[in-house]
Amino acid sequence: MAVDEGHRTVSVTINGIEIEVPQGELIVESVKRLGLEIPVFCYHPRMKPVGMCRMCLVEIGFKQPDGSVRMMPKPQAGCTLPASEGMVVLTDSESVHRDRKGVLEFLLVNHPLDCPVCDRGGECPLQNNTLAYGPSTSRFIDLKRHLPKAYPLSQYVMLDLERCIQCGRCVRFTEEISGEHELAFRFRGASMQPSTFQLLDFESKFSGNVIEICPVGALTSAQYRFRARPWDLQTTPAVCTACSNGCNVWFDHRAGRFVRINGRINEGVNEEWTCDKGKFGHDYYNSTDRLRTPLVRKGDQFVEATWAEAYEEIVKGLESAGKDVAGLCGTRIANEGLFLFNRLFKQVLGSRSVDHRWTRTLGTSRVQTPIAGIEGKKGVLVFGSNPAEDLPIVFLRLRKAATRNGTQVTVVTPDVTEADAFATVASRIGQGDVLKVAQEIVDGQSELARKVADCLKEDGAIVTSDRVRNLPGGGEALRLLEDLAARCGAEFNCYPTGPNAMGAELLGVLPGDGGLDTWGILQGCCSGTIKALWLLDCDPTTVEGGDQALESAEFLVYQGVTRSEATAFANVVLPMAAPAEQDGTWTNCERRLQRMTQAIAAPGDSKPAWRIFSEVILRLQPSTPFFNPREIMKAIADADPRFLPGASDLPEEGAILSATTQAAMAGDGA
Amino acid sequence: MAEMKLLLEHSNDPEYATLKGYLAKGGYTGLGKALKMERQAVIDSVKASGLRGRGGAGFPAWIKWNGIEKEITKPHYMICNADEGEPGTFKDKELMENTPFLVIEGMTIGGYATQSKVGYIYIRGEFVDACRAMRKAIDEAYANGYLGKNILGSGVDFDLYIHTGAGSYECGEESALMSSLMGERGMPRLKFPHAPLPTVAGLWDCPTIINNVETYSCVPFILDRGGEWYATLGASTKNSRGTKIFSVSGHVNKPGNYEVEFGTTLMELLDLAGGMKGGMLKACVPGGSSVPIINAADCERAIIGYEEMAEVKSMVGSGGCMFLNEHTCIVSFIWRTAQFYANESCGKCTPCREGTKWMFQILDRIVRGKGQPGDAELLVDITKQIDGRSFCGLGDAAAWPVAGAIRVFPEEFEYFIKNGRSMVDSAESRAMAPKWAQPAYS
Repeated sequence: MAVDEGHRTVSVTINGIEIEVPQGELIVESVKRLGLEIPVFCYHPRMKPVGMCRMCLVEIGFKQPDGSVRMMPKPQAGCTLPASEGMVVLTDSESVHRDRKGVLEFLLVNHPLDCPVCDRGGECPLQNNTLAYGPSTSRFIDLKRHLPKAYPLSQYVMLDLERCIQCGRCVRFTEEISGEHELAFRFRGASMQPSTFQLLDFESKFSGNVIEICPVGALTSAQYRFRARPWDLQTTPAVCTACSNGCNVWFDHRAGRFVRINGRINEGVNEEWTCDKGKFGHDYYNSTDRLRTPLVRKGDQFVEATWAEAYEEIVKGLESAGKDVAGLCGTRIANEGLFLFNRLFKQVLGSRSVDHRWTRTLGTSRVQTPIAGIEGKKGVLVFGSNPAEDLPIVFLRLRKAATRNGTQVTVVTPDVTEADAFATVASRIGQGDVLKVAQEIVDGQSELARKVADCLKEDGAIVTSDRVRNLPGGGEALRLLEDLAARCGAEFNCYPTGPNAMGAELLGVLPGDGGLDTWGILQGCCSGTIKALWLLDCDPTTVEGGDQALESAEFLVYQGVTRSEATAFANVVLPMAAPAEQDGTWTNCERRLQRMTQAIAAPGDSKPAWRIFSEVILRLQPSTPFFNPREIMKAIADADPRFLPGASDLPEEGAILSATTQAAMAGDGA
Repeated sequence: MAEMKLLLEHSNDPEYATLKGYLAKGGYTGLGKALKMERQAVIDSVKASGLRGRGGAGFPAWIKWNGIEKEITKPHYMICNADEGEPGTFKDKELMENTPFLVIEGMTIGGYATQSKVGYIYIRGEFVDACRAMRKAIDEAYANGYLGKNILGSGVDFDLYIHTGAGSYECGEESALMSSLMGERGMPRLKFPHAPLPTVAGLWDCPTIINNVETYSCVPFILDRGGEWYATLGASTKNSRGTKIFSVSGHVNKPGNYEVEFGTTLMELLDLAGGMKGGMLKACVPGGSSVPIINAADCERAIIGYEEMAEVKSMVGSGGCMFLNEHTCIVSFIWRTAQFYANESCGKCTPCREGTKWMFQILDRIVRGKGQPGDAELLVDITKQIDGRSFCGLGDAAAWPVAGAIRVFPEEFEYFIKNGRSMVDSAESRAMAPKWAQPAYS
């Protein structure tokens, strides 16, 4: 909160202490510089102040030229008042305390005070402010307002209208941050209530955030409802592993079981928001499909086995396959696991066939703009994929850039996207026309091409994702656009979408010289050139020809967190720890390396991926095993200097890795 | 001082609502003169007149007009606040129905003085007749070159649009009106010093001037006869100039709109309205339901003027003057007022949203005969928690009548709370009370 250089500052006297603050800073923020607090409900630092709840009323005066102070006749809302020269602020006077008591008494008049059964109880700003500033009793003896309780706004969000204090945070979130305009107030006065249009479903990709910013228990999570008291929860800082954005979250757990995800502040990544996939999409932790013990196939059925028995079976299977082995992996695996997976195949087994990619055409990503950097771009071309779907947090930045900084956004996609709402140009193309349109843009002749050129002419960026490779001609289209970006000086970003896909790519979990890629491996299984296949938390049955390949493979190892369709084909099944059940580092789509520490124990006999590979390698090739992920990270950094930041203590916000080894050697962060 | 008819001089003449009739009575001479003057001279003329906002707050009109940047290129707007929703006030309705050209001419002069090319009249949705009359007048003005491009060949353009409200008292608050006009929810916006003044960022974030119907209607006379002449009216008062229309209602023999010079006494206004009906004067709400009630003794010494009215702890407000006779139950009267404000609170801020409803709940309980000792003190406390703490003036407007009534007639509240029935048992008070509350009067 240091005063920015170059900004004009003004001198403000707060409770008798004179300090310099930037001109126009809101008083509610200025007082924080002195370690003071003005209680608030409706004010949220990331949204425009509205001054609705009146909790932040303070006494304001102005120094007169003769040195005296003229106080304003009415108390003023500290959350909307910009600091100006000579302002005098009283946050602790008798009248301020009386006003706070008054506002809290009003808020509690119609609040049901059902705190014992309220999810928010214990972490409720209304409780906290009442404890600190409120009256201890109420003079209200009339009938409280009665309204629907537990109204399901959507499958994730429950609305309790009795508890609502009409602060408008949720309404403003959908207007200002997510831009979906799903919520609004209806009715007026004491009957005013937040609602979706005609109480239809709250359709949003970011609805979980309103639960967190609600200062009371009016908006609660359908998943978390009545499952715990906040003070019973333990929380661990974690990184979301739902997609490649790598949002910082709080991983809340109780008695060793995952309970809920809340947003955690990281200004470089998610600010403090989460998407619904990230907030509600971690059901695999408590899934009944969790694998708990190693399983070994005996004839037609699986028999529970010890790890030693399973390893023995694997060593037998791999050794009989010789060099005709291959590995396929998903991307919800920490860097350490991926590194050893790669080492197992490439160094120990002598195979070059490993891959982590599952798009129809395969390619590598290229990312030049960090997520926060999107805010500063003058023009952004969104091509082929819907950012709100594939890269939710990148989408929020893009929206912020467009709505607050005036970034010109051009959307060229097959489907309608949420970004259309703030785009200057939104152009629909056919699913099969991606390459044709990319060519058209590069040729620069058409109307659309001119608009794109105009968008990218100065400090521009192209935002797309690896999902485009699923479209016919997508890979080629991306290559064309990459060239275009290079020519017009724009940054090109084909963000990967898998949680640690960027990590897998940097660690080289890709086919080596003469090795087979994903599609080659699956074909190889069918034709018999691949005899043993190791599936690391991935399910090829979801892709074309996958079933056939798995059926044909002579020896199949399935290692995963939960059972899947592919499990049935396996010879050996290994239970793996989920992301928050192990220590590890994760690389998000902007190459930000972030460390996650173990929050809860893995169920049953499951082990982290890195430990499984470490133990398998030991059985195949006598060597010193790795005993913890930090040692593996050191080994990674030794092999690849780009990972050097991970070898020592990572800063809390993580570290963005260099794109190339050369840049890393030169100490260049970009 | 007796009635001083300026705005309402020809209000009974149906011809005056037509352009021909209006011109015949000297209409549009004000605009003609204004168009020959420098823009600043027009504003100076309004300044000299001492014209203050007739909507209720009494803010000097010229300061708003002068607040628009002089060399302005941004679009900017004139708004006429015709969302007359204050209970007891019906002057703007009459002005729009009977003297629509005064409003149009006043706004056109304002448009010329501030170089704005577009004006909006935001009319209360229920005022269908007023809206039709304005529509007719505007069409006629357009047809004859008094609106639109190149007005009267002067090269000045001014377009005027009508927008009707959807039934919200709150939308008469200027910033809520602008939100409503923009198609947003009718909620008040941040005001100075929290946000720029409307003259800097108002409608669509552009400079905006917003005045009441009556204020605009005064402007043609000021330009026609000079600001100095206008300032001679009401010269006996401290700082109120010109005439003011009062909508007199209640227990009087001839309810209606009466225009008087500032400095007239409240009793003279009562005489104009034919005196009391059905009993002695008990109390008066001089400026619309939101201003504090005054008792008969204060009525005797009340002088009509913005500062003068404050001496009897009340206000000129919007001029909705209600006289109540001795058979009126003040508690029931305030019960009805409180119900109105609880219904009309927009819900934006806590004190008004919760406070107005709570006050009504308590008054409702009292009127049902279930009052509790301490209720009156609680009501006073609640008004203190609302007054000055709410987001906009509506909170204050809801608190003042309750606080005022308890201050002026404490014994009536005490009696009702203690005995569960009104101190004034009469046909009048029964008629005013809600049907279900009748047993409480028996």
